[in-house]
Amino acid sequence: MKIELISFGKISEFINNQNIEVDGIADTDAFKQYLENQFPPLKSMKYKLALNKNIVQENTEITNNSTIAIMPPFSGG
Amino acid sequence: MSEKKIKNIFVDGPIEPAFIADSIAKHNSQTAIGGHSIFMGQVRKDEIEGKFVAAIDYTAYEDLALEKMHQIREDIFEKYPLNCMHIYHSLGRIKAGEICLFVFTSSAHRKPAMAACNEVVDRLKAELPIWGKEIFEDETHQWKENI
Repeated sequence: MKIELISFGKISEFINNQNIEVDGIADTDAFKQYLENQFPPLKSMKYKLALNKNIVQENTEITNNSTIAIMPPFSGG
Repeated sequence: MSEKKIKNIFVDGPIEPAFIADSIAKHNSQTAIGGHSIFMGQVRKDEIEGKFVAAIDYTAYEDLALEKMHQIREDIFEKYPLNCMHIYHSLGRIKAGEICLFVFTSSAHRKPAMAACNEVVDRLKAELPIWGKEIFEDETHQWKENI
């Protein structure tokens, strides 16, 4: 399964925007687990995911060619 | 579902006082308006562990932010009897003392304009995917976090 990964804020300092190929990951909970294994600093950070431009509020199924954004707490204004 | 017209709110660089003055002037012809409320966010020269903030560099997940802002806009127009509402947020490097946020609401009487203005600012800070990197005078940085 192909996923376009994009990151913002503090997280963009250690995760570059990239296309990744993952297998056996069905939903956003599993994807978080995958991310935290790949990028250990995430484990101790607060962050949210957006799946295809929707902020993930509850575990959501991931389909091929999705875009997933990793977002630290917001600080606009 | 209502017709969807996504407005841009992002401005590259600081929001100039002349732009704000001009926005106010543009309402001359809207004579049903009796009250405007304006909020302006200014980059504060915070002192953190002995270092001063020289600027904030703003980035955003623009598509998602504009989508979210559209929902907020619809909620606010549904809740308050507003004549109009304008929102601008800076992107890029904004120096201490410069304006980075401009929210402008207008209504027939002052109270809806004031309440809506407050609510928009609160929601925008909490809900829009925008990030501010505080850059210190020595070019080191830290990422801001809204509480």
